[in-house]
Amino acid sequence: MTLQVVTGNHAAGYALSTAGEANRTARGAACGIYPITPQTEIVEYVAKFPFSKGRVVPVESEHSAMGVTMGAALGGARSFTASSANGLAYMTENIMVAGYYRLPIVMVAVNRTLGPPWNIWVDQGDTLMLRDFAWLQFYCEDNQEVLDTTLLAFRLAEDHRILLPVMVCMDAFIVSHTQMETDLPDQAQVDRFLPDLDLKHRLRYDEARTIGGLSWPQEGLSMRLEIDEAMGRVPEVFQECRSAFTEAFGRDPGDQLQTFETEDAETVIVATGTMATTAREVVRHRREAGERIGLVKLKMFRPFPQESLRQACRPASRIAVLDRNYAAGSGGVFWQDTRAAFQGHRDDLLIQNYLAGLCGGDVTPAVIEQILDDLADRTEAGSPAWIGIDEHSEVPV
Amino acid sequence: MSATAGKLEQLPGLPCTEECLLRAGNTNCGGCGMSTGLTMLGRALRDAGETCTLVIPACCGIVTAGAFPTTSYGVPTVATTFASAPAVASGLASIRDLNGEPGQVICWAGDGGTYDIGLATLSAAAERNENIIYFCYDNEIYGNTGGQRSSSTPAAAHTTTTPWGKAEDKKDIVSIMAAHRIPYAATLSIAHPEDFADKIKQALSMTGMRFLLIHSPCPTGWKSEPADSVELVRIAVNSGLFPLYEVFHGLDYKINVEPDGTTDPADYFSRQKRFHPDEIDLEATRKRCENRFNQLRALARINLAPVS
Amino acid sequence: MIEIRIHGRGGQGGVTLAKLIATSRFLKGLSVQAFGLYAAERSGAPIQAFCRYSEDPITNRNLIYEPDHVVVLDPTLAGPPIAAGLKSGGWILINTPEAPEQYTEQFPNNAVATVDATRIARDNGLGTRSVPIVNTALAGAVGKMFGFPLEEMQAALEHLGFGGSNLTAARSAFGQVRLLENTSLPAPDKHAQTAEVPGHGPSLIEGAGSGLPQLKTGAWATEQPHRQQMIPPCNHICPAGNNVQGFLNALAKDKVNEALHILLRTTPFPSICGRACPAPCMEACNRIELDGAVNVREMERYAGDHGETDVQPEEVREQTVAIAGSGPAGLTAAFHLARFGYHVKVFESAHEIGGLLRSGIPDFRLPEEAVNREIQRILDLGVDVETDHPIDRESLLDIARSHDAVLVATGQQEQRKLRLGMAGTRAVMPGLEFLDRVNHGTMRVDGEDVVVIGGGNTAMDAARSALRLGASSVRVVYRRTRDEMPAIQEEIDEAQEEGIRIDFLTQPQSLHEEVGKSDKRRCTLICQRMVLGEPDESGRRAPVAVPDSEFELNCHRLILALGQSPDMSVFPEGTEVREGRQLLGLLETPVFAIGDLATAEGTVAAAIGSGRRSAIHVHNVLSGDHVTITEHAEAARDVDVWRDEVIGADTMKLHLFERQAGHQGESLGMARRRSTFDEVHLGVEDAAEARRCLSCGVCNECDLCVTYCPEGVLKRVGHRLEFDYAYCKGCGVCVAECPRNVIFMSHL
Repeated sequence: MTLQVVTGNHAAGYALSTAGEANRTARGAACGIYPITPQTEIVEYVAKFPFSKGRVVPVESEHSAMGVTMGAALGGARSFTASSANGLAYMTENIMVAGYYRLPIVMVAVNRTLGPPWNIWVDQGDTLMLRDFAWLQFYCEDNQEVLDTTLLAFRLAEDHRILLPVMVCMDAFIVSHTQMETDLPDQAQVDRFLPDLDLKHRLRYDEARTIGGLSWPQEGLSMRLEIDEAMGRVPEVFQECRSAFTEAFGRDPGDQLQTFETEDAETVIVATGTMATTAREVVRHRREAGERIGLVKLKMFRPFPQESLRQACRPASRIAVLDRNYAAGSGGVFWQDTRAAFQGHRDDLLIQNYLAGLCGGDVTPAVIEQILDDLADRTEAGSPAWIGIDEHSEVPV
Repeated sequence: MSATAGKLEQLPGLPCTEECLLRAGNTNCGGCGMSTGLTMLGRALRDAGETCTLVIPACCGIVTAGAFPTTSYGVPTVATTFASAPAVASGLASIRDLNGEPGQVICWAGDGGTYDIGLATLSAAAERNENIIYFCYDNEIYGNTGGQRSSSTPAAAHTTTTPWGKAEDKKDIVSIMAAHRIPYAATLSIAHPEDFADKIKQALSMTGMRFLLIHSPCPTGWKSEPADSVELVRIAVNSGLFPLYEVFHGLDYKINVEPDGTTDPADYFSRQKRFHPDEIDLEATRKRCENRFNQLRALARINLAPVS
Repeated sequence: MIEIRIHGRGGQGGVTLAKLIATSRFLKGLSVQAFGLYAAERSGAPIQAFCRYSEDPITNRNLIYEPDHVVVLDPTLAGPPIAAGLKSGGWILINTPEAPEQYTEQFPNNAVATVDATRIARDNGLGTRSVPIVNTALAGAVGKMFGFPLEEMQAALEHLGFGGSNLTAARSAFGQVRLLENTSLPAPDKHAQTAEVPGHGPSLIEGAGSGLPQLKTGAWATEQPHRQQMIPPCNHICPAGNNVQGFLNALAKDKVNEALHILLRTTPFPSICGRACPAPCMEACNRIELDGAVNVREMERYAGDHGETDVQPEEVREQTVAIAGSGPAGLTAAFHLARFGYHVKVFESAHEIGGLLRSGIPDFRLPEEAVNREIQRILDLGVDVETDHPIDRESLLDIARSHDAVLVATGQQEQRKLRLGMAGTRAVMPGLEFLDRVNHGTMRVDGEDVVVIGGGNTAMDAARSALRLGASSVRVVYRRTRDEMPAIQEEIDEAQEEGIRIDFLTQPQSLHEEVGKSDKRRCTLICQRMVLGEPDESGRRAPVAVPDSEFELNCHRLILALGQSPDMSVFPEGTEVREGRQLLGLLETPVFAIGDLATAEGTVAAAIGSGRRSAIHVHNVLSGDHVTITEHAEAARDVDVWRDEVIGADTMKLHLFERQAGHQGESLGMARRRSTFDEVHLGVEDAAEARRCLSCGVCNECDLCVTYCPEGVLKRVGHRLEFDYAYCKGCGVCVAECPRNVIFMSHL
């Protein structure tokens, strides 16, 4: 294990490659790759990695990148890819299939604004658009978490109790292109952590079996139910993987839902990605000033950790949900799921949505402070609040 | 499982058996050319001691499999999205080759998935010279959705989206594929079973991207008698409407069947209700066939340096 | 609200029918729904469609489980499932040619009506033959059932763009519905509709997806294929009764011994007929329409000369059969009777057996070796022979007393005559006598001018023999044209090639001795020119004399080859000769006249046929068996239907065969043909010609049907074709692709 200063993309590429390499003693690894800013460095890293038993297929589109990756997964190989924004949109049809075919693919997604407006900066709307397709989703706040979560994602996805693909998300540029010190584990450590992939429902050349035949409602329903049951097992299996990870690498990769100072917090911020990092600092300062305030960082969004969220917010009376995304016509996506989690449990809670940092806007501590001040003034929740809309000068664009 | 169905069950694995590719009890239309193509492919694989994995995009060919958990395919098969068969096949073939396993990875796609929505994917797989065999059973129509035009639909054919007859001519997909300089591209007809088998044998003997186009009658879409299926594509070959030829490495052309000089393309049009006889310019059609063959003959003569 | 459920097959237009019914109500201002149950089904698969209409807005968005009425588009679907949930008092309308009474037992709770919409659709050219589109016709019938005016249904059709033959079909069906009202209509069973609790079905991740299809697609079929066999024209016409197609098929598969075996079922003389037969099979051959007849004669010779097979009596029988005459008919009868196991004894007046085979056909056409070889095969069966034993009326009675049956096969001994004068002189000689003496080496014509009168093979043989004996000129005089000549065409060609002149349309009138010459006296033959007039009783156009057209021919010798007639003197006065009929009724022993004596057909092949038929007949008489000619030839194959019908070229799919030139054997050089009696035809080197046989109407196991069957449900099992009717969709490709009409479809 060596501590190095690398970008988030480098960390992701390193994790994907060493995980693929770790399966050299089984059926190998393969992926289809296609560039898009700001994830291109990930697939470039993968493309130059000297796999002992693997193939990187540079294809003509994201749609085919997922196609090749699914083919490799169907063949029983460890398979992965990376994409972003409109690339994810173009890949969407095959993203669905990967989930519904129960293929344990790991994809690193760098959150970028879905164009138009055409820009390359962070916005989580791209991966949140894909929230309903039987993929697990994790949102990471720094390079180390990206690396750790990516490695953990393989073990989780490939567990026979799960068999679902995982999307590991990070903020464009703020993580993807930011150089930070990162612990890069040795290949041997990765080998120990990731067992050989044994995908029992892979296509075998000597087994006459059709994956993807037509299904009547009854069979279709059953397949969806199986996915729901697997989703239900994720929290428990995640904890097993987390323990194994800690044992293998001597470092806690972090919980699926991470709390900070929520034990007695009357006010809780719910945030993801790098906004959570910023919010944590604001919470720390306000705590020092005696305010009973805390932070919930949603690392895992699919499946949505409803029970953990309710537990973490038990003492709270008001919640600010920070959404770096906009689901047109119905506010932020995290806010929708947060409200749903408390529906019928805590009707007294004031849950206010703040749409912050959209389309690449910088979410500074001042922005968080502004949000908290706004929240404190509220006697009841209103419609989602657009943050920074009148403060063009503060947005460094 | 019933006793009758049980007798058709074959041991999986090598080699493929005739029944093991397309099982009885499938839902294809009577007289479906794709069924005949699959049956002939199964026989060719059996004769070569080979087996395969089928990768099938959205098309009649995947409906053929029938309702999960049963399947009319006796080989490993996966359904892909409409445009993805060559990509998924690339992944599967890569893992097969990494693990030194036997069996061909075969894409089995209709003309919609080949000429239209899947063309970019196919082109990319061809350019990468992926180690797969791509079959397009070309019935010149979107059959699965009830008969809409594709870019393979011939001029003058009535479809539900060309209700007054298609104005444009059929796309020349083989030239497109040959332009990728892939090891092997060929046209096949179910009315020429020996040629059909020879070409599969040829394809099986090679590695890299192999593209085989089967003229595949569709009684439902062509509005023809199911029993006429084979005869129709026979007329197409013998009259010069559908040339049977091979292209090696995009350079070496070989014509397999010359028009017999007696078969009239008029019979082809008059026996399908998708064509209206008064809309067919037979002279122009004959001239076009002749020009096409002259072009092919010229290409076939240009064998400057045989590529081995 | 009225709810209708439609049961049909994919491609019949069931959903459109629902829409037509709905449209007819929509046009009356009602609220309507029409929809199908869409799944993976294809053309021919059972489908359901639904229609509801109501005065009030329809809020039901489910399938119809308890219909008011049911329409059935395909009679093969008319089973219990179609009545599931059908309300009491509801009617069932079935598309079928049957009367509604046929369904009374099956659907006791409902009124049943029928209409033959398939026929109406076919008559109006709607859909394809195997999948007629019956919806528009049935729209008319449904209107009738509801009591809607025809105009309302027509309005619905036109509203949806149906015109022309569709309107005609609807009108026809409207008028042709047959209804049977049931008197008692008890309450229907409640439709059991227990929704299954959602739970774990087959699991993708547990490896499900390998089950065998459950669908029996045979239920889609409206027609089914079957195998049949027809009679190839060669087999039909062969006077010997040979299974021509059968032996050619064996040769085509390089089974020369089997080919000989098949031939020997009928003829003991393949090597002989392979040289001397006029081969009517070749004139009847369907391949003429493609690229020329199969050279059957050469192939029979090839099988006879190159095949090897052991022929033994099938069993041992005590009874004895005497045969008078050892020509081809007598020897054929001897051959078959010996194989049946009888003790056979042949009586021959000449010193050698063989009759016409030895005396009537010269060596250059039929070498002695072939005759000896094939006669020896008969003798090897244990046939006794007594030569130098002429049969007269007296001796016939003697042998009849000492045998269980007698066959008289003495042929046609009487030479036809022509009164020209100079009868009995050295200059005039009957053709057969000439050939017999040539055969025995006692004939000399060197330096003579020879004229042969006649147009048959004897005339040709005599002329060509005379040429080989050194005649200085040979010409043949025949009173009709070449087209009427009964001789084998090739022999006429060869005679002319060798330099023999034939005077057609020439009738000899009289012969006169030329005066003044010494040893070689010349004669003058006065002839008259003829033209062809009206056909005579033989079907040939009769020659008519041209007035004042007499001319002279000079010759040393005149050979009369005018044909023969039977010598009936061995039989009692008044005996009527007819093949197979028992004669001499005063005796207990059956006596039969066979061969040329009975039939006067005049060819070796006909004699063989007669000999064989007689042998089978005698066997049936003596043993009480009922062996038929066909069984005896072992010609019948394993077929579903035997069609006793000759298949013509128009029934064959000749375009499915590649054109291929026929194989002709080499011929002897002309110099040796003119000077020696060496065999002219050298035969062919191999049996490739047999592969040109089209095997008309008889399966030769080409298996194109198996190759083209889209489903792979047609299989070859040994010599049988196995149709898997559980899965056969009845598409008819096997029928369309069989080049020889061996498969046919039957309506279900």
